[in-house]
Amino acid sequence: MEIEILGQGAFESALVHLQPGETFVSESGAMYRASTNVDIDVTTHSRSSGGFLSGIKRLFAGENFFFSTYSTDDGQQGEVGLAPTHQGEVHVIEMDGSSDWLCAGGSFLGASSSINIDTQFQGFKGFLTGESVSFIKASGQGQLLVAAYGRIVSTQINAELTVDTGHVVAFEDTLQYTLNKAGGSWFRSWLGGEGIVLNFSGSGRILTQSHNPSEFGKMLGPRLPDRSA
Amino acid sequence: MEYEIVSAPTYSAVECHLNAGESIVGDSGAMAWMTDSIQTQTSTRGGLLKGLKRKLLAGESFFQNTFTAENGPGTIAFAPGAAGDIATYELSNNELILERGAFLASHTNVDCDSKWDGFRGLLNEGMFLLRVGGSGTLFFHSYGSLEVVDVESEYIVDNGYAVAWEPTLEYQLTRGRKIRSFLFSDQLLLRFSGRGRLWVQSRSPQTLAAWVYPFRNVESKDDD
Repeated sequence: MEIEILGQGAFESALVHLQPGETFVSESGAMYRASTNVDIDVTTHSRSSGGFLSGIKRLFAGENFFFSTYSTDDGQQGEVGLAPTHQGEVHVIEMDGSSDWLCAGGSFLGASSSINIDTQFQGFKGFLTGESVSFIKASGQGQLLVAAYGRIVSTQINAELTVDTGHVVAFEDTLQYTLNKAGGSWFRSWLGGEGIVLNFSGSGRILTQSHNPSEFGKMLGPRLPDRSA
Repeated sequence: MEYEIVSAPTYSAVECHLNAGESIVGDSGAMAWMTDSIQTQTSTRGGLLKGLKRKLLAGESFFQNTFTAENGPGTIAFAPGAAGDIATYELSNNELILERGAFLASHTNVDCDSKWDGFRGLLNEGMFLLRVGGSGTLFFHSYGSLEVVDVESEYIVDNGYAVAWEPTLEYQLTRGRKIRSFLFSDQLLLRFSGRGRLWVQSRSPQTLAAWVYPFRNVESKDDD
């Protein structure tokens, strides 16, 4: 499986070249172009990650309830293009099976089907700031596709690093992390507008994004007509 | 007329250098700046009915502006509403099909006609498209990057991402093939067949708008 990144900088997207027998998984609706021999199936679960309940868990993780799976149905090679919602870069994480990755709910774009996708709940403490924190856990060997709002910076952590949850794209599970408030107390954190941060320690790789999608949403939302409850 | 596309591919705009007496047609609101020799004339181009069709059916403007360099040469720039790329296409007595809202500017001998493109595919869903014909340069734009696909037999594009295609390509509106997809996903796909060039954009305004939706304030219940 070869993943080609199309576009440059502001509007990257991914073109996945499928060999016969290979399967790729994305959030449903991310596909924007495909060769006609690609069979698109919408399922509630990806391989070996439990059915309906997993689907519900993904819903809570801010992801679509459904995954789409793509494979070619005529023994030929095919291609499928996946587009993120936001302006920004797309990155391929090559997973060799030695460590798992945690991917922020909104950053997951797709994965080869050999990767097991599961949702982990991370912290329910966000109610004060309105921020929800959720991560998808990817394990196994294969390619994981992530999308960012803005630029992606890859950092190797060897000491400690604090990152706002809205700027986290994905990180290696070898890192220890604790959810924390940025401003000392919940009240102060809320006052300062800095929500929940992740304190990383240990060693491992982390991908961060230059912009926080929720901040963009909070900027636009109030300027639009109210929605019905 | 000479032109250059500036700030491509993310913030593309097109600058057109007109000789004295030359004209160019721009979509309403697309003009970004122009020099003082350029005069603007607003019309429906082709009459009331054509203007109405363009507005109501194809999501383009009722009025189109014709810009003419009247007192010597001049420069005019057109910029689309969304960040993205601009493509050019040279028409010579042939046609190009544009999706809603993709038209940016064209030579005055290029004619835009919106067309109800009939019922295609199993769903009996039709769509309104802009058929652009005549001779001259055409500029159209995308949200996100603009990818060129040279279709040799068949290709699938999500309806919201197709920008333009050559009329040698046949198309059908379909959904994902499996019944499960039909039940759970409302993705409308365009299935192209034949040989010809197809332009695809890499972002969707509808997808972004749907993403912003939950950030809106909730309507308060009491109306006092």
